[in-house]
Amino acid sequence: MQFQLDNNSSIVRMSGEFTFTDHAQFKSMVTRLFETKDAPVVIDISKLEFIDSAGLGMLLLARDEAKKNNRPLVLRGPSGQVKRMFGVTKFDALFDVEE
Amino acid sequence: MSLADMQQRVIHALMAEISSTSTFVETEAEALSGRFQRLVLSADQQTARVESLTNLAIGIVVDGEVVPIDRIAGLLENTLSDVVEKILLLSKDSMSMVYALDELNANVARVDKCMEQLGGVNRTTNMLALNARIEAERAGTAGAAFRVVAQEVRELSKVTQELAVSMQAELATVTDGIASGHATLQRVATIDMSENIMAKDKLEVLLSALVRRTDSLTSIVSDAVREAELMSADVGGMVTGIQFQDRMRQRLEHVVDTLQVINQAIDELKHSSIAAVPALATDAPPDLEWVKGLLERFTMSEMRARFVAQLLDGKRPDELPDHGPDASGPSESGSVELF
Repeated sequence: MQFQLDNNSSIVRMSGEFTFTDHAQFKSMVTRLFETKDAPVVIDISKLEFIDSAGLGMLLLARDEAKKNNRPLVLRGPSGQVKRMFGVTKFDALFDVEE
Repeated sequence: MSLADMQQRVIHALMAEISSTSTFVETEAEALSGRFQRLVLSADQQTARVESLTNLAIGIVVDGEVVPIDRIAGLLENTLSDVVEKILLLSKDSMSMVYALDELNANVARVDKCMEQLGGVNRTTNMLALNARIEAERAGTAGAAFRVVAQEVRELSKVTQELAVSMQAELATVTDGIASGHATLQRVATIDMSENIMAKDKLEVLLSALVRRTDSLTSIVSDAVREAELMSADVGGMVTGIQFQDRMRQRLEHVVDTLQVINQAIDELKHSSIAAVPALATDAPPDLEWVKGLLERFTMSEMRARFVAQLLDGKRPDELPDHGPDASGPSESGSVELF
């Protein structure tokens, strides 16, 4: 997985495949995201091609982090396999998912 | 007088023909009625079978209870949703533990660094104690107290060093435990369950298709039940309708009876005429032209043959080899000659 997080921005763009091996990188990224002050925190996943169950678990942990920090978390632009996974797991009921 | 004789023969032939036709129709009608009754029975059985198909189409029988397909689909859907929810929970908890172990690993690394620093401090302390001892020896008697302090510091450094070694050994065990736990958790967390999650998607599509097919099947079977019931009713009506032969037989009996009366009247007229004019009693040849004209009107050859035998040869109906359309009963091919 690759991600792009601009300095002091609360928007991150993820691309490629999001799997277990990305856990350290993702955790660090989430920590940096919630250090910003802007609301809401947005994870742009429009370029994300694949997500596995570990990836879904990490997004749920990010959601817990958002709740702890009292910050809205938006998942933006899911498509393809990612969108189908969101549909099956009813992620749109757990997250604010923007098309 | 020959005309009167011929007319009486015609009347006898007609009476015989009517009687045999009546018998023929009655026999055929009864046979048809029997077939229709068997058809009614088959239609009723067919209706019952189609009705039992309705139950099969609606659902599956479990412990004597019909569980509808849509309810089965609902149960499966709920079960699959539950499985997906648990997979998500498992994934989240696994990743949470991975995060916690990463943190713990970082803490242990920091402690390890502290232990290294502690070892450095200990080495320095030991060196200082050694130097203090050398200086105390060089001072002679005046350094006696200083020598004792240097010795104590050296002892303290030795104990601290032993403690540090012991702690490092314990820390190594903890590090190994964390590494082992991390590896185990990684194996659990890297089991990709996305295919299992997507299986729910596929199963939902299949279940929807199954429910749609069941609905179609139920609709078709319902139509078939209605059609089968209509067919049973129609065949039942046909059985009732075919009971016409009783009325027909009664009517033909009236006709035969009337012909009998006419025959008697002709007979009486013939006798009264002979009584009045005895010359009429002499036998006169039959009027063959009249008979020929009559027979030419018949389009059925077997009927014409019977009339020839009775009118011209003077045979009685019971002397004929076959004195009916088919006195032996209904034929499979149908003995009615169409014209």
